Amino acid sequence: MVPPARTPLRTDRLRAVNEPRQVTVEVDGSGAPTAVGRLGDLAVGRVESVNESWRIDDEWWRQAITRLYYEVMLEGGKRVVLFQDLITGSWFIQQP
Amino acid sequence: MSRHPTSSLAVCVWIPLFPLRCEEARHEGLAVVPTALLAPDATRRLWQVSSLARHTGVKPGMTVSQAIGLCSRLRLLEPDPVHYDEQFTQLLSALGEVSPVVEAAELGLSYVGVDGLQGIYGEPEKVIEAIRQAVRPSDRQTVRLGWGVGKFTAWVAASRAKPSEAIVVPAGQERNFLASQPIAVLPLDADTHRRLRQLGIRTLGALATLPHAAITAQFGTPGSRLWQLAAGCVSEPVEGRIAPEPIVAALSFFTPVGEQELLVHALDQLIARALKAPRRIGWRVHALRLRAVLEGGGSWLTAHLLKEPTADAARIAAPLKMRLEQAPPAGGVERLVLEFTAFAPGTSELQLFARDAQAAARAGQQRALQSAAREIRMRVKRSVLYHIIEVQPWSRLPERRYALIDYEP
Repeated sequence: MVPPARTPLRTDRLRAVNEPRQVTVEVDGSGAPTAVGRLGDLAVGRVESVNESWRIDDEWWRQAITRLYYEVMLEGGKRVVLFQDLITGSWFIQQP
Repeated sequence: MSRHPTSSLAVCVWIPLFPLRCEEARHEGLAVVPTALLAPDATRRLWQVSSLARHTGVKPGMTVSQAIGLCSRLRLLEPDPVHYDEQFTQLLSALGEVSPVVEAAELGLSYVGVDGLQGIYGEPEKVIEAIRQAVRPSDRQTVRLGWGVGKFTAWVAASRAKPSEAIVVPAGQERNFLASQPIAVLPLDADTHRRLRQLGIRTLGALATLPHAAITAQFGTPGSRLWQLAAGCVSEPVEGRIAPEPIVAALSFFTPVGEQELLVHALDQLIARALKAPRRIGWRVHALRLRAVLEGGGSWLTAHLLKEPTADAARIAAPLKMRLEQAPPAGGVERLVLEFTAFAPGTSELQLFARDAQAAARAGQQRALQSAAREIRMRVKRSVLYHIIEVQPWSRLPERRYALIDYEP
């Protein structure tokens, strides 16, 4: 006989990691971020440079997800990744 | 290793077209329209056909277009093997309340060992009634029951019984009963059936009157076995099952996954997790199944009995990957569940022993870890320890790639 388990395997309790967090962002005339508002202990401040930007269109067959990502360098040298949800217009910060 | 409980006296419980009956039980009104279930594989042919559909000429194995051409009212259903499996498991469990010796033969067909049950219930008819009561009410009108010594006699009796009725073959009467039965009740392939009929053999009695050696010479070892069955020389007991303590590992996807390589990747993850389960240590996996909950409510299931029980992830994965390749799920997978359902003790596989020896050495560390985790949980009143697992590492959306799962050492 197989010995009974001490504790059942709990494989259902999945928690998402690295969920995007909403932030306030100032943009320039072209829509690129120029400053990021404070969010808890996350680094914020003026954007020194935009290193890269890319767009993700996904799950158009269910509930469309359209994001425009920016990898930016803040004043002081911290690198953060922001994206704008192009459907709602909201901005989010997310670990790359 | 403990022996399986056995019983020479058997009752065969047969619910023909069990999957179709499951669908009728959960969809009101289905029983009064011509219905067909699609095959669970990728062929998109008919698998099971209701009697109303048969009357219109629809047969199992037909393509959908052929069937619709014959019967435009035909109601086609996607198969839900997980549901049928669950229903059958419930039936086995209910039969287990009547007798401790229950053997599953195939979906809808099982044997109940009834040695000694007459001391509890009385006459065979009363034992049969107790078994009938274990069947869910919606199946009591279709279940066929057969009583006899050995599984074959019980099966033949059930196959000859009318729906909701039972045939009892008293002990010692097996040969007489079997003699008049058609050869179709034997486990024959189509070619052997045709050859026997060409030889003018229509009944088991006609087969049994021929010399055993002559049948063996004509049909080889399988023919010898057929002769023994027909002559009533074989009386296989019912072998009870030892209830397994399955190890389950599951993964819910954030979005339905259809790509095969992604499913294979997820499968590898599940196997690795299930093999790490503490109760697996010292045991090799013998039987396993993989099931998927599909987008839109369908399901997919594959079960395998490994020829050689093993604790090797690649060998466990091989039959599952082959099935994923040859007959993948018909839709996007929302949840993938791997179950190790039966185990064999560790053997002389050196590699396995080495692996298990390492596992045993880790047990001390594991105990310390458990103690620490318990203490943390007591202090903060909730679980704060997690594993990070890959969920959809291929996803373009960063939050979909990994997830946390409660860490319970």
